Amino acid sequence: MTTLDLTGVVCPLNWVRTRLALEELDAGEEIAVRLDPGEAIESVPRSARDEGHEVTVDGTLVTIVKR
Amino acid sequence: MTLSDLELERYSRQLVLPEWSGAAQERLKAASAIVVGAGALGSPVALYLAAAGVGRIGVVDWDAVELSNLHRQPLHFTPDIGVGKAENAAVKLGALNPEIVVEPYPVELTDANAEAIVTGADVVVDCSDSFPTRYLVNEACCAQGVPLVEAGVLGFTGLVLSILPGRSACYRCAFPVEPPPGSVPSCREAGVLGATAGIVGSIQALEALKLLTGVGEALTDRILQLDCRDMSQTLVVTSRRADCPACARVPAAPQSA
Repeated sequence: MTTLDLTGVVCPLNWVRTRLALEELDAGEEIAVRLDPGEAIESVPRSARDEGHEVTVDGTLVTIVKR
Repeated sequence: MTLSDLELERYSRQLVLPEWSGAAQERLKAASAIVVGAGALGSPVALYLAAAGVGRIGVVDWDAVELSNLHRQPLHFTPDIGVGKAENAAVKLGALNPEIVVEPYPVELTDANAEAIVTGADVVVDCSDSFPTRYLVNEACCAQGVPLVEAGVLGFTGLVLSILPGRSACYRCAFPVEPPPGSVPSCREAGVLGATAGIVGSIQALEALKLLTGVGEALTDRILQLDCRDMSQTLVVTSRRADCPACARVPAAPQSA
């Protein structure tokens, strides 16, 4: 599984990069994203869930299974 | 075609749209648009297409900027009076978005050059201010199979129609009879507020972006009529005419995007 390090990348660019990475995946494939605490870790998982992906959050590491 | 870090940041607010995608943005970057007229409609059209990241924009206008243009043509500023509109558009759009290429065509669109100018474009946006030019642009786009966004604005009213040659009603299908000269008041006679043209031009720009990316549903076979006095909007259904001299024999254009 690919891990994308998006620490230091602010909203909404972190979500932009996450979405672009998700575009490259097939449905059911997953990606891990490392984010900053605060707005980033609160916002990106919510955006991913809003688009129907399966999301698990462990600290500042977010795993997203593409829908 | 990949997007640079600067492009991702520049376009981030549209890249986060659920309907948008990196693929849509890359399609825009690879796309070529022709804007006919850099006036009241062409200003918002050219500005929004450039800002959104359409990779190549050709701007056709042989006029120069006049003081009386400025109230409705926000591409042109007071120090630009006397400068060619196409050249000024290239300067302004280049400053707005240096990631794209803007090609000025400081020529009058005629029977002789219209098809050559629209050939190879992925979309043409007609922002001209005369009926003969509108029919000419429509015919050139039909002949070359280039998607077209038509619009007009008069007083507080406007209309918009998107055209996929060979697949949806063209401008001549919708308006088969060209108005005789003088029968419809020209812009100069009727007057217009810049903001009204801005609304209509913004709709045209949005239609062009939809056609280029495949996002949403284009305004084909429906004429959007706006009356900005009360903001009423009407969609008038139209359809292809089997005997249309402009598009009847046009083979269906490939599905855009």
